[in-house]
Amino acid sequence: MAHSPRKGSPARWAAVILPPLCLGGLLAWTADIFSPAAISPSHFMQRFHNAGAPGDGFRRAHAKGMCTTGWFDPSPEGRALSRSGIFRGEHLPVMGRFSLAPPLPYLPDNPAVARSLSMQIRSPSGDDWRLALVDAPLQSMRDIADAYAFFGAAKLDPATHRPDPVAVQAYAAQRPWLKTAFAQAKAHKQTSDLTNDTYNSLDSFILTDEAGKKTAVRWAAVAQEPFSPADGSGANDGNYLFKRLVQTLDQRPLRWDIVATVARKGDPVNDSSQPWDNADQKVTVGTVTFTKAYSEDESPCGPMVFDPTILPDGISASDDPLLALRSSVYMRSYATRSAEHKAPSMVTPGDVASPTLTQDEKGQ
Amino acid sequence: MSFPQNTGHATPFPRLSILLHWVMAVLIIVMLFVGLVMAHDSTIHYAGLFTLHRTVGFLLLLLVVIRLVNRFANHTPALPMDMPGPMKLAAHFSHILLYGFMIALPLVGWAMLSAGGYPITLWGGCHIPPLMGFHPHLWGVLRCLHSLLAYGLILLILAHIGAALLHGIIRRDGVMGSMLGR
Ligand code: HEM
Ligand code: HEM
Repeated sequence: MAHSPRKGSPARWAAVILPPLCLGGLLAWTADIFSPAAISPSHFMQRFHNAGAPGDGFRRAHAKGMCTTGWFDPSPEGRALSRSGIFRGEHLPVMGRFSLAPPLPYLPDNPAVARSLSMQIRSPSGDDWRLALVDAPLQSMRDIADAYAFFGAAKLDPATHRPDPVAVQAYAAQRPWLKTAFAQAKAHKQTSDLTNDTYNSLDSFILTDEAGKKTAVRWAAVAQEPFSPADGSGANDGNYLFKRLVQTLDQRPLRWDIVATVARKGDPVNDSSQPWDNADQKVTVGTVTFTKAYSEDESPCGPMVFDPTILPDGISASDDPLLALRSSVYMRSYATRSAEHKAPSMVTPGDVASPTLTQDEKGQ
Repeated sequence: MSFPQNTGHATPFPRLSILLHWVMAVLIIVMLFVGLVMAHDSTIHYAGLFTLHRTVGFLLLLLVVIRLVNRFANHTPALPMDMPGPMKLAAHFSHILLYGFMIALPLVGWAMLSAGGYPITLWGGCHIPPLMGFHPHLWGVLRCLHSLLAYGLILLILAHIGAALLHGIIRRDGVMGSMLGR
């Protein structure tokens, strides 16, 4: 026969086997198989799990929540800052999700806990604007390494079911650059309710106008309801914050102004842990009105993801490293929980239908 | 170290086939690395990599369609007469699998982002319409499938490279040369 297989020398065989082996090794190394300590989305999931996230189809953070619907009315001032179709429309549909920040889906409402508001605003021409806002004044982390350490320190002690105070203090003590953020968090006056709270993007975004001019902003959803302090406003019902939100919506619509704080020269755009100048211009780009509430289990806001980098043309993400990180980590949380069987949410359809406060076993 | 030239005389692939093969090979390897970095490392610029991944992914989907048309429109050199039957079968079967994975991966990527409710924008701002409406559970399943297909494609590519080198270095039957244009 012309070409029967020739017995190859070891060098020949090495030349056959080594190239695919090296490429495979390189791919495996890229997937971090050899460095289990690397900061990866699955390690963030592990840290949320250690901080109390049960899985069960819930978000790995901001796990307890309730949905609302309403609309967004943009202002001419918004139109001047961004060419986005969102600011050209009127009466655009909004889906909101009010939530408590911890990864615990069955956390009883209480005055001490941080709260959040996520929104999706859509225009008829297909613009999709997602916002994920919290009621803290500044971010208590400045970069990816901080975020990883922060959620590491949130690990629950199996005995006390609380984070280890020593670890939490060490996190702050080792990071002098977060001094202002922690001071402002301490000075922050919590409101009585979800209805009169103000929610912030913390991370910055870049607006582009018709002429291509770019403006860096931070967002806030500022409640039109008057401030009232949280002290003594609690109730003996584990869902009192959410039920009082439903009660108010049953009586009247609730409005939040969407306010852009415009960066001046020197304001740190890529560091959400640092304050901006107090004298910065504030522009109300529109108003969100909520009229209806739904349990997460009967609204698409339950399963959906409020990735803050899902933005319409005319609004883009800044180079804040936390924004890109959030996009990747939210995606992993979203993929994982979507493949799980979801347990019922703590705010049930029954709670939304009849939001009377009761002294239940969930209350503390 | 140098090896003697191939001694076989298989006819080479047509020029267009060779071009498509090597352009896609490079792009697919880049996609595998970019995908793995996105999914397994949180410290590397995610937004930029993700935009690159979507853009090159759709480019590859376009290229694989052109390649399939070319494959049936253009001739494909026959494998050497003396190749054992099971080896030929393995070659044909693995090529069908490679095509299947090259088509399925970008399609599943497109479908999963659609099902998850993510808008799909390519580099430069081009907007791709969703393949389906919002199906969160399907998004979870397809995201998992995208990983499994990618890992499968990696194994296929490694075997493919090994087989090509076996032809070129051990058997020296001209099969490797036919894709190098010799
Ligand atoms: C870098 C640190 C951060 C990490 C790792 C992180 C992580 C997460 C995760 C895993 C979720 C669940 C997402 C889902 O399954 O849909 C989530 C939700 C959320 N995060 Fe963050 N987060 C970070 C920073 C922030 C910041 C800076 C804000 C706001 C200013 C924020 C606001 C929210 C809100 C409002 C939600 C609830 C979203 C929803 O209702 O779907 N997070 N976060
Ligand atoms: C030939 C084409 C493609 C190849 C070879 C490829 C390869 C990969 C690989 C290797 C991963 C990492 C999987 C893991 O380890 O979990 C990945 C993830 C991913 N791919 Fe693709 N992909 C392709 C096309 C696409 C397309 C067209 C899209 C979307 C339009 C897409 C969207 C994604 C997304 C969203 C992820 C997840 C990233 C994350 O988890 O953060 N892919 N891809």
